Amino acid sequence: MVATNHILVTPIYFIALPLFFAFLLPLLGKIYKSFIRIVPGLMFAYLAWMAVVLLLYVYKTGNPVIVKIAGWAPPIGIDLVFDQFTGFIATVIAILGFLVWMYSYLFKKVEFDNALKYFLLLMLIYAGSIGVVITGDLFNQFVFLEITGISAYALTAFYRGRDGAEAAFKYLLIGSFASTFVLLGILLIYTQLGTLNMADIARNIDKMDPTIKVIAFILLFTGFGIEAEMFPLNGWAPDAYSQSPGPIGAVFASMTSKAGLYALIRLSFTIFDFSSANELLFIMGILTLVFAEGIALRQEKIKRMLAYSSIGQIGLIMIAFSFNTYLGVFAGIFLMLNHALVKSLLFFSASFLAYNSPHKYIKDIQGFARYMPVTALMFGIGVFAIIGFPPFSGFWSKFYLLSAMAEKNFVILIILVLSVSLIELVYYFRVLHKLYFAEPTGEYQPHTPRWNAMLAMVLLALIIIAIGVYPDLVTGFIGKAAHAIMDKTTYINSVFSI
Amino acid sequence: MNTLVVLLLILFGGGIIAYFAYNIHKIVGDIWLVLVGFAASIYYIGYLDVSQVLNIHLAGFVLTLALNSFSWIFGLLIAVLLPLVALYSIPYMKGQDRLGWFYMLFLFSVGGMYGILMAGDWLTLFIFWEIMTWSSYLIVIYRRSEDAPRVGLKYLIFSAIGAYSLLTAIVLIGANVHSLSISKFFEVLPMHSLGFKVLVGSLMLIGFGVKAAVMPLHVWAPDAYSTTPMNYTSMFSGALSKMGIYGIGLIVINLYYHSGISLAGEIVAWFGAITAVLATYYALIQKDAKRLMAWSSVAQLGYIVAGLGIGTKLSVFAGIYLAVLHGLFKANLFMAIGAVERQAGTTNFSELRALIRKMPWTFFSALISVIVLAGIPPLSGFVGKWMLYESMITSGHYVIVVFLFLASVAGFLYAFRFLFGVFLGQEEKEFEHVKEANPFMTVPMLLIALFLIVLGTFPGIMFKYIARSMADLGFYGVTYKMSVLTNDWGQSINMQYIAASLVIVFVLFLIVLTWVAYKNSRNVTTKDIHTSGEPPSEEDNYHFSENFYRPFQRAFAFVYKYAITPVYNEFARGIEDFFQYVRRLYTGNAQTYALYVLLFLAILFLIAKNIH
Repeated sequence: MVATNHILVTPIYFIALPLFFAFLLPLLGKIYKSFIRIVPGLMFAYLAWMAVVLLLYVYKTGNPVIVKIAGWAPPIGIDLVFDQFTGFIATVIAILGFLVWMYSYLFKKVEFDNALKYFLLLMLIYAGSIGVVITGDLFNQFVFLEITGISAYALTAFYRGRDGAEAAFKYLLIGSFASTFVLLGILLIYTQLGTLNMADIARNIDKMDPTIKVIAFILLFTGFGIEAEMFPLNGWAPDAYSQSPGPIGAVFASMTSKAGLYALIRLSFTIFDFSSANELLFIMGILTLVFAEGIALRQEKIKRMLAYSSIGQIGLIMIAFSFNTYLGVFAGIFLMLNHALVKSLLFFSASFLAYNSPHKYIKDIQGFARYMPVTALMFGIGVFAIIGFPPFSGFWSKFYLLSAMAEKNFVILIILVLSVSLIELVYYFRVLHKLYFAEPTGEYQPHTPRWNAMLAMVLLALIIIAIGVYPDLVTGFIGKAAHAIMDKTTYINSVFSI
Repeated sequence: MNTLVVLLLILFGGGIIAYFAYNIHKIVGDIWLVLVGFAASIYYIGYLDVSQVLNIHLAGFVLTLALNSFSWIFGLLIAVLLPLVALYSIPYMKGQDRLGWFYMLFLFSVGGMYGILMAGDWLTLFIFWEIMTWSSYLIVIYRRSEDAPRVGLKYLIFSAIGAYSLLTAIVLIGANVHSLSISKFFEVLPMHSLGFKVLVGSLMLIGFGVKAAVMPLHVWAPDAYSTTPMNYTSMFSGALSKMGIYGIGLIVINLYYHSGISLAGEIVAWFGAITAVLATYYALIQKDAKRLMAWSSVAQLGYIVAGLGIGTKLSVFAGIYLAVLHGLFKANLFMAIGAVERQAGTTNFSELRALIRKMPWTFFSALISVIVLAGIPPLSGFVGKWMLYESMITSGHYVIVVFLFLASVAGFLYAFRFLFGVFLGQEEKEFEHVKEANPFMTVPMLLIALFLIVLGTFPGIMFKYIARSMADLGFYGVTYKMSVLTNDWGQSINMQYIAASLVIVFVLFLIVLTWVAYKNSRNVTTKDIHTSGEPPSEEDNYHFSENFYRPFQRAFAFVYKYAITPVYNEFARGIEDFFQYVRRLYTGNAQTYALYVLLFLAILFLIAKNIH
């Protein structure tokens, strides 16, 4: 807790800087048009660097960085907790944020207004997602969830077509259910305990009236479940993924869904003491996995297919966490990392494929490898990683996940998960085969990725291969993160020791 | 430095460099490929320190690299094939594009095979297994032919089924044995429950069985073997399939015979025998040399699996011996088919005619390989089959012997069909321009043929290593003689006498033939025949390439009636249809989604009493 109020490196900046620059962006754009691209980039780069510095500090000293806002100590004031677990997730989001910015640096080069809107919303969704993860206050989390949600609705309706508006409307409708439920849940807790601090709630949770406790839990679980894209609450997700601009698919996969998932996990692991929470996570995880992957098999549009696949991965992560064993949680965090990296790579490359196909159908992309060899290769690497071929990073998370299942002797579950994996393999390789083997239907002058997008994809691919070849790059961090989320007492104590 | 790591570095590093070398110039790449091939081979045979063990701590696991004499013998097979195939590839792949990509994957897959053989723990084995799988998959689809997506996907799905079974078994071992070491696993296994043994063993056998193309997991093999460029198929069928055999050997012997479930071994042997019979019968009716040999590979692997499954000293010995032999002669046959494909432009029996005079060296090496395949004395195939049958009769597996005998007889038929279809028959104008293949192609083939002949007369050369590897499987005191085969009934055969007498008979026959032919000879063309007093015209075809074995096919129609592929297809379609139906859950209607949310909430409230 030494670096709590360091002037250059403090978790407050994760929230303060994006909000600040988001308000400033229109003004900056008036001064010099390219500022709307450059300034967010500098900020994302700085925050990614800062996240890594903070994470290394936390990793080495073993002390979480906890910041109290406005000088009020918890439980009265709001605190930001950057510990081994939240810090890891926040770092993943921060790095992905920077890569998304790099990928979309030249986005809407000529349309100033659209570009301004895009970068502004990108910063907001980023601030919201990281905020959800690092805040230590339940109401504060709700606020960040709203920031994330509202910017996500706007991004879904970014292209002002009928489809975009429809998708955004669905998202808005279901999202408002989420906010209502979360808010109701928080209210119930507040009326009972008179506190909004997560650590404080966790400390006093057994003082709650049992009935109200269950109701609050159900409301919060449903609310966060919507944001985490849990089946059957995820009807909005495929539309939102496929209607939003290309890079936003990656943002949904790597940031917003992670934020929702984090909230769900924090709810089950720290705030409430229900053992059934894990069973609930387990059942919903299996349903989410099986339905999403199966439906992905029958998708005709590439981005919708990726969206369902992304939801399937979330189901897998939920299963991993539901074991509540070290190995399971470890696998879950590793899966979260891989999901963020690999799905981003897939969305990055696939959005160029979809961009160049007239109707965004999978059958339209046939033979595109000829025109976009690097993009196709990147998609291929993404597919290999998500299937879990060694030496790509997906292999290790899969292996840990199965080990966690074997530890509990869930043979049937292993078989189920691997069968679903087989379905996944089929639909991904179908696309890959279309990409490489089929003859192109006509002559194309495709929009190939520019250098910045190329660089972002290659960097992601290199990270994926590096982790695959040498997983110890991240296993240390993940191990500490797993300990941190499972150890409720330390979390409570460290919050109150400042 | 650890010699095992050096070998892997030669192959994987060599693969990456090969990619760039081919992008500089084809000649640079070819030289590099041959260099890597010979370097790896010489290093393996001459410099590899078998006693070395390397432990790598990675991601909380201990990855172990260590060879033993059982795996060494499979590595030897690869080491023999690799430089020859590398030489063969130079002219074979001439004119193809993306050669750098091809050879990178080629060397990766060979590196993967060596990695599997060196693996001292299951995780290492699995990692290299998957590297081998995806690199070979990418080679299968390398040509981007019309049915490449179908063939590739089929290969990939079955590989994945195998890999996932393996993976399940591995994580179960990790959880129950608390160590992933292979030797430790076999050590403690007898102490585990029967259920665990059977579960893990079956999963492993499925995993390895896919690569060894054991029925009913074989459906990928005929397509994949025949679609791949032939220079890789010779490695694919020759060496890569042996990785499955290696695994089955490990499992069956260690798991079943040393921990007392011999019934499981019997079942494996039965799977092998049935595979041998059915695949042979399918090989018979193929219309393409590639597919015929692909089915033949499946059949031959069936023999080997049957041998390993019986699990007596002699049968395992025979199995390993046949595995090495199959690696050699099948590689040779696929090389020969590749040479024919390159020179004549087709491998279809109904088009090919009488290449014997055009491609005599190719014919010779194919002939030797076919003799080995059919198990005719004096060549080495006979030795292998002799041992296999004897081991089965002495251990009382009479029914399996009958099965294998049926397969062997039918094996003669397809072996002849192959020789006749490609090399014999009447010459056609169409193939007049065909010349013998490039020496880079024929010399490796002839070298293998020579090696096969030597092995037939002196099988003891190979026996030495096999006997050593048997000790690793727990069979001690395996004795053998250089050229004399003995059996339990006290009979013995000296292969040298057989070879010598056959050579003498052959030479005498040649002398007589020459003598007779000299006395009353006249030059004829191949069309110089008369039917019912009517000379056929040039266009009349007397080549029985269509429905070559129709009577046979009719007689065994009941065998051909059943096929497993439609069953798999139906199953896949069923799943697709099911999810097509399920997909309707996502109606695209916001009201429905809102309803789902409320229903979910309602269900949670209903079960709220159970949340504690």
